[in-house]
Amino acid sequence: MTATVSHTRLRVLFALFASASLLLSTRLAYWQTVGRADLLSRATDQVHSDLAVAAQRGVIRDRSGAVLATTVDLRSLYAIPAQMKDDAGNETRSAVAVALAPILREKVEVLRAAFDSGAEWLFVRRRLPEETAARIAALHLAGLGFEMEPKRLYPNGAVGAQVLGFVNDDGLGQYGVEGRYDDALAGTPGRLAVARDPANRELALGLRTAVPAKNGDELWLTIDLAVQNAVERELAAVVDREKAAGGAVVVLDPKDGAVIAIASSPTYDPARVGTANAEALRNRAISWTYEPGSTMKAITIAAALDRGVVTPSTSYQDVGYAVIGGRTLCNAQCKVYGPTTVTQILARSQNAGAVFVAGKLGASDLNSYLQAFGFGQRTGVDLAAETGGIVRPLAEWYPVDLGTISFGQGLSITPLQLAAAYAAIANGGTLYRPYVVTGRRAADGEHRTAPVPVRRVISEETGATLRTMLTTTVDNGIANAAALKGYSVAGKTGTAQIPSDEGRYVDDAYISSFAGFVPASDPRMVVVVVLEKPQSKLLGTVPAMNTFKAIATDALRYGRVQPDRP
Amino acid sequence: MPHRRGASRQTARLRGASWEIRSFLVASGVIVACFLLVLLYLAQATAVSAAGYEAQRLAAQRDEVRRQNALLAIESARLDSPARVETEAQRLGLVRAATIRVVGPEAVAATR
Repeated sequence: MTATVSHTRLRVLFALFASASLLLSTRLAYWQTVGRADLLSRATDQVHSDLAVAAQRGVIRDRSGAVLATTVDLRSLYAIPAQMKDDAGNETRSAVAVALAPILREKVEVLRAAFDSGAEWLFVRRRLPEETAARIAALHLAGLGFEMEPKRLYPNGAVGAQVLGFVNDDGLGQYGVEGRYDDALAGTPGRLAVARDPANRELALGLRTAVPAKNGDELWLTIDLAVQNAVERELAAVVDREKAAGGAVVVLDPKDGAVIAIASSPTYDPARVGTANAEALRNRAISWTYEPGSTMKAITIAAALDRGVVTPSTSYQDVGYAVIGGRTLCNAQCKVYGPTTVTQILARSQNAGAVFVAGKLGASDLNSYLQAFGFGQRTGVDLAAETGGIVRPLAEWYPVDLGTISFGQGLSITPLQLAAAYAAIANGGTLYRPYVVTGRRAADGEHRTAPVPVRRVISEETGATLRTMLTTTVDNGIANAAALKGYSVAGKTGTAQIPSDEGRYVDDAYISSFAGFVPASDPRMVVVVVLEKPQSKLLGTVPAMNTFKAIATDALRYGRVQPDRP
Repeated sequence: MPHRRGASRQTARLRGASWEIRSFLVASGVIVACFLLVLLYLAQATAVSAAGYEAQRLAAQRDEVRRQNALLAIESARLDSPARVETEAQRLGLVRAATIRVVGPEAVAATR
């Protein structure tokens, strides 16, 4: 028997199919026309990743190319606690904690608590040392993984920390060269838009737009790592021996102002900045000011010689003190010297003599020369956080200021300013702007820093005369402890009182310093040593001179500088 | 006359059969050609994808080698550090030379 289907049913069925086809066609037409962009966008989003490509931070090298700072990707360990299961599906959080604890030197309970904290994803330890990461990777623990993160490394530890500065957790350079040249070192991040497969691998066929990252510039410094190391070693030793509150050393090349070494105490390890106190972060060579004391007598006498108001043989009758502006200013221990020449004023460090010279010069000229030597203003060194010190405007000077400033009280300076001023005396009268970065290697080539002569401060002749006088000060005068066998040394000691917050001077505490250059006949380096509150008190210049000697001995040997004396 | 009509009908049939065979062959050829083209495209696409994955693997390998090289450079710099060399020298009991004799060029010239 043959079943028959009524025409009506067939028509209904046809109508249904036709309607369904029409609906589907309409929908298809919609997605192909009006909704195409949206559909394409949703499809693209599933495979498309648009990432910022980090730029590599530039390397910092010393003058001979030794690496001082560089950036390397290190592995950071992360955990996904929900995935900590064995093949049978049993939870392994405790086992993972037990396995990790001895490698990470962490308590099992601490790790277990982190895994049980409820976080879906967490960093266990960031930027692991390579050996540690390799040991963990070899365990093949489920639920653990690694992610690369850049880390700034300083292979010389704390050496040069005050010059280099550091990079904070946000990748920003702080202090020193890292802070001053952050833009150049950081580079420019790029972008990579690419299609990825479900395994997160890039697809060769598909969308790919890349803007390459521009890596940071490589910086070459004027710093000499060997000298820097010697300077930091000697400074740390003298600060420790003298139980000093702090100290600073600057070594400059007087011929062009290149900074060979800068050290400051207390200091810090750039790899452990988090544990350093704020005082340790301050570079005392550039960010700290002090009243210099007698090292300024060389500047006062330089000004007077240059102005022609005195000569090395100009003499006066020393009575142990000088009266100026109604105030009496004494020599150290009010010692009376009798007839004294200007050379002897420097050699014996007579305060009354400095007042005599300043009196000949006058306040206006002394102020002008102080400005010319760069005191009271930043040197312009290319390091972050430099301060300028204080030289009050001439209009604010009391009559007594002419006397006190002539021997280095009543103004504040930085050790670097003093080094730059002594460099001007050493090189024949030209003040150079100190600089630390000697060259920059970028994608477009190498850029070299040209030394910047700021101005001529004194004449060649004055410079030569003062070099002789400062050499006498070391050979036969108060700075004899700075004398070096085989080399002529020119220099001057300084002992200054410390002003308190109440406007008076602190009792029985001093800042001791020595500023000198060697060989005096053809200066290769200026060294300034400053010690804050050494336990030797008034005799604090002796350890400062010993430190100068130790540094100069090392630096001269290392630099193979020919002796200029038998 | 009937014989002639039969012959022409046979000729027409043959002609029709030949056209059908030709059409079939052409269609088959087109299909096979299209199939081959698609195969070629797929082979190329697969090869490019595979090459892409290989390039990515090699790039990752290159990056890792570079990273290892950078780590070695840092280790080398750390070992060359004057502070470490000094510490090591002290550990070995080495002492600084008390004096260093410097011979001037005149003295050297006099010996020649």
